[in-house]
Amino acid sequence: MTMDVRLLRIDSRLLHGQVTTNWAKAINVNRILVVSDRVARDMIRKTLIVQAAPPGIRTNVITVEKMIRIYHDPRFDGLKPMILVEDPVDARCVVEGGIKIDSINIGAISFDNTRVMVTDTIAVSAADVEAFKWFHDRGIKLDVRKVSNDSSKNLWKSLSEKGLV
Amino acid sequence: MTRREKILAYLEKRTLSMAQGVTTSEISEAIGVLRPNVSKELNQLVREGKIKKTNGRPVRYVVNHAAGNRKIKMEQKPNIGFAGDARISDQSIKEKYTANKNEVDVFENMIGSRGSLKNQVEQAKAALLYPPHGLNTLIIGPTGSGKTYFANKMYHFALDREIISKKGFTVFNCADYAHNPELLMSHLFGYVKGAFTGANDDKDGLIQEADGGILFLDEVHRLPPEGQEMIFYFMDHGTYSRLGETAKSHHADVRLVYATTEDPESSLLQTFVRRIPIIIQLPGFNQRSAREKLQLLEQLLTLEANRIHKNIRLSEDVVQALLGSITYGNVGQLKSNIQLVCAQGFLNSMHNKNEITLHFSQLPPNIKDGLSNLANNRQELGNLSRLLEPTMVIKPDAKRGLPDIDSYELPYNLYEIIGDKAALLKDEGLDQAAINNFIMTDINLHLKSFYRQGKLEKTVSSLNEIVDQEIIDLTKQIQRLLQERENYPVRDNFIYAMSLHISSFIKRVQSGKPLRNISADLISMVHDYPAELKIAERVKDLIEDHYRFPIPESEVYYMAILLVSLKSEPKTGKVGIVVAAHGNSTASSMVQVVSQLLSVDNIAAYDMPLEMSPKVALDGIASQVKNIDQGDGVLLLVDMGSLSTFSSKLTEKTNIRVKTIDMVTTAMVLEAARKTALIDSDLETVYRELHEFDGYSRTIEKVQKKKNDVQKISDQRDKAIIAICSTGKGTARRIKDLLDKILVDNLIDDITVITVSVVNMKEQIAKIQQKYQIVATTGVVKPKVAAPFVSLENLLQGGGESFVSLIEEINNNRAAREAETLEHSEFLTEEMSQKYLGQYFTFINPAKIVKILWNYCDFIQQRSKSKMSNAFRISLIMHMAGALERYLTRSEMSADEQKLSSVRTEKLYPIVKQANEVLHETLNINLSDAEVYYTVELFNTEKEKSDTQNN
Repeated sequence: MTMDVRLLRIDSRLLHGQVTTNWAKAINVNRILVVSDRVARDMIRKTLIVQAAPPGIRTNVITVEKMIRIYHDPRFDGLKPMILVEDPVDARCVVEGGIKIDSINIGAISFDNTRVMVTDTIAVSAADVEAFKWFHDRGIKLDVRKVSNDSSKNLWKSLSEKGLV
Repeated sequence: MTRREKILAYLEKRTLSMAQGVTTSEISEAIGVLRPNVSKELNQLVREGKIKKTNGRPVRYVVNHAAGNRKIKMEQKPNIGFAGDARISDQSIKEKYTANKNEVDVFENMIGSRGSLKNQVEQAKAALLYPPHGLNTLIIGPTGSGKTYFANKMYHFALDREIISKKGFTVFNCADYAHNPELLMSHLFGYVKGAFTGANDDKDGLIQEADGGILFLDEVHRLPPEGQEMIFYFMDHGTYSRLGETAKSHHADVRLVYATTEDPESSLLQTFVRRIPIIIQLPGFNQRSAREKLQLLEQLLTLEANRIHKNIRLSEDVVQALLGSITYGNVGQLKSNIQLVCAQGFLNSMHNKNEITLHFSQLPPNIKDGLSNLANNRQELGNLSRLLEPTMVIKPDAKRGLPDIDSYELPYNLYEIIGDKAALLKDEGLDQAAINNFIMTDINLHLKSFYRQGKLEKTVSSLNEIVDQEIIDLTKQIQRLLQERENYPVRDNFIYAMSLHISSFIKRVQSGKPLRNISADLISMVHDYPAELKIAERVKDLIEDHYRFPIPESEVYYMAILLVSLKSEPKTGKVGIVVAAHGNSTASSMVQVVSQLLSVDNIAAYDMPLEMSPKVALDGIASQVKNIDQGDGVLLLVDMGSLSTFSSKLTEKTNIRVKTIDMVTTAMVLEAARKTALIDSDLETVYRELHEFDGYSRTIEKVQKKKNDVQKISDQRDKAIIAICSTGKGTARRIKDLLDKILVDNLIDDITVITVSVVNMKEQIAKIQQKYQIVATTGVVKPKVAAPFVSLENLLQGGGESFVSLIEEINNNRAAREAETLEHSEFLTEEMSQKYLGQYFTFINPAKIVKILWNYCDFIQQRSKSKMSNAFRISLIMHMAGALERYLTRSEMSADEQKLSSVRTEKLYPIVKQANEVLHETLNINLSDAEVYYTVELFNTEKEKSDTQNN
């Protein structure tokens, strides 16, 4: 038995307010793991994230390496976490590290000058597209939803329509 | 008609026809209210002077036509006794009063007025007599040290000397309304009609009420900033405004006496300290002389004797136990404890009409423990013993009394309740033992309230969870025997260490595991300690006696080792540390964390609010340096380079060697504390080592990077926590299990917990250190390792939480500090919000929108009258920016009808709607109701979270 990862979600803002609370309630998790090397080093952001966590669910901010380490460590088998990552590249690292999931939830990826907008809230860079391809090739579903009761859209379709893949 | 009014009305009626008054039972029957309730109301009425009670039993009550209201009563009885002081007739008091007036100084008969309170009394008199209107005074003292009592004495002094025109001592506790500043202000200053909803008439506040008298503001540190400002204004000008008025046109002539338990060094109080000319510091109970302690005890016992009209007889050891049972609660706690044991004694001596006897064996356990507490302090015990007689008899004495404005006084006559209840139960046919049992439960309930405020019982109860009560009791018995018969000095951690040891040993025997071998090392070690070996034999006998099975000789050796490790170590002088940092509580909170984690006592804090002048800071730091110095110099940690020049000035001022390091982080303070307290190093060495520890640039990024690099290169060893017990198999195993759970719970996977036996401890640790980097230690004894030690008590009490924070401090040392800076800096928050807005959003302009959303937060904060933390503020700003962007991209959130309709009933809904209306006006953006729903939910989640935290 290994850790039962209930959700892997990509969101540039990682853990924020209502969105996370909504997901945590909907999918029955006992832990929120924010996985980001950058944030694990940035104390202010770390503090903000931990303080924004929903009541009653413990939240940890850890590095990608640690995520993979504890996933394979039987001492942590009891966790049923929701994993939050900032971008598709981190998500790929996590999955490459052996974490088993069959779909990835994509919330929002914010725009910057290396990225192009694919939907209203999702912008992708070349590296992101590369990562999404990697997921698609392994049959992992790319599920676009802000909150759990939204209807699911397939990001692959949007990427294809834009001619990005 | 309320119960109280009914009783009064009935009494009015009956007093006319029956001169001798009516009994509680008669009233109860006549108006159909339960007897205990009637009794409670009657006592309250007696206390207020509305009715009087007769001597003898059954007690009869009559309406007191002589006294109209409380203030007149004050005038009649300046030295009010206490509830139910029936035997002291009004007459004698009146005589005493007239005789005393202007001649006798009310402070004279206060215990300690010529001893530990001499200066304080002089200060108080000076403050009151200072022309023309006296000086405002702040009384500082720990919980229960008698601040209210002292203020009351001041009032009576002023009254006697006719320096106040009005007879009024108005008391206001700022903590009562601390959660509602506006209500507090309206009580204090009054309000005008229409100032707020429900203000239907103009109303005067306490300030006006106290005009010409004294206003006593208790727990003044709880006064909100608005209140402080108004009070300061009033102090300076004598005028104030009521709520809802703009002009400060009201005048009152009030002498203000403030009181607080707060540390005068805390920055909040410093504002007060700066503005109040007279500061009176009351000593804690332990700072008082043995003679005064005894006098206090006698006086408080006399009160009880007066109440029950019987002599109280108690032996030397009861006196010692009572005095030794006082921990943080001072005289107030002594009073509560005395009430408890007297109530118990009263119950046990019900048959004896003239006297009650307090037996040591019948005392509650926490008071019994007082005897051993006292025994630990030889000098104090010696001083006391010289003053003590083998038995002490306290007689009722009408001349001694205390004012009844006192939070330690029960709002009813406990003895009467006991008497009534006992009689009732006897009628029911219960035997004496059952009755006693029943009533004791009751007494405990009544008196628990005092202890509930403190933590007295907490320690033992958490030990309860891991060790059977039977073993704890046995251990206590052993502790007592060791103290009494063997003169063995026992430290606080004895109960913990010994009961865990016995528990694991018993489990071992019961589960049939093989006996431990005696190694040659063990034997040779123990032979250096023949005294402990002898005591261990005694302990072995005790355990054998209790469990009735033989205990192998090897256990005696382990027990001896345990005893050796538990023996108190002699104190040596340590280098002191003073932490001085800008901010209202930055320094003190860091020091608090560190002193809790490492249980060290060589560290002090000095908070410097930004507006504090360097001169004041220098003086403040100098006094802290003096306080903390143990003769080996002081290390000063400061947060700004400009302060690092203080060293020489401080040395000049204090004649103490001072070295300054201009770097303050919790990690740094931890490092300094463990270098000074845990490893004996001199000032120069500590200073040099700490300089190396953090001798680099102060930019956060750089420090971070360098530190990581340095650690990686210098320490490849895995981290470990060492748990120590005498065998390395029993208690230490338990600690390991506990810690392993905590570590997993906190996702810490790179720290191993290793158990170690006291035997060969040094060698074992040295061996471990080859492979591991020891980050912390815990257990029955503190090893000489350069790592924080967490005592068993702390570990078990905090549920290991302190350990986790310690580990987090070690792993990444800035989180707590950053969060704190965040909460204190508005500028930072706004700047940060803008940065994140730019990072996460595509269409909106961060620089333009941040101000608008900032105001949005203010708008809601003002209207909802609740304070937002800066972290939540950032969160809300980000959420609202998201909502705006969703609007712009036409991808607004949706919510079902049920949610939408439920949100409309929320208290916050109209406020958020209004706030959105403002957004609409500014940006011409109209957010949907679904967005409103999510915004309200965001607040609800936050509230839920703070609620769960507070519980």
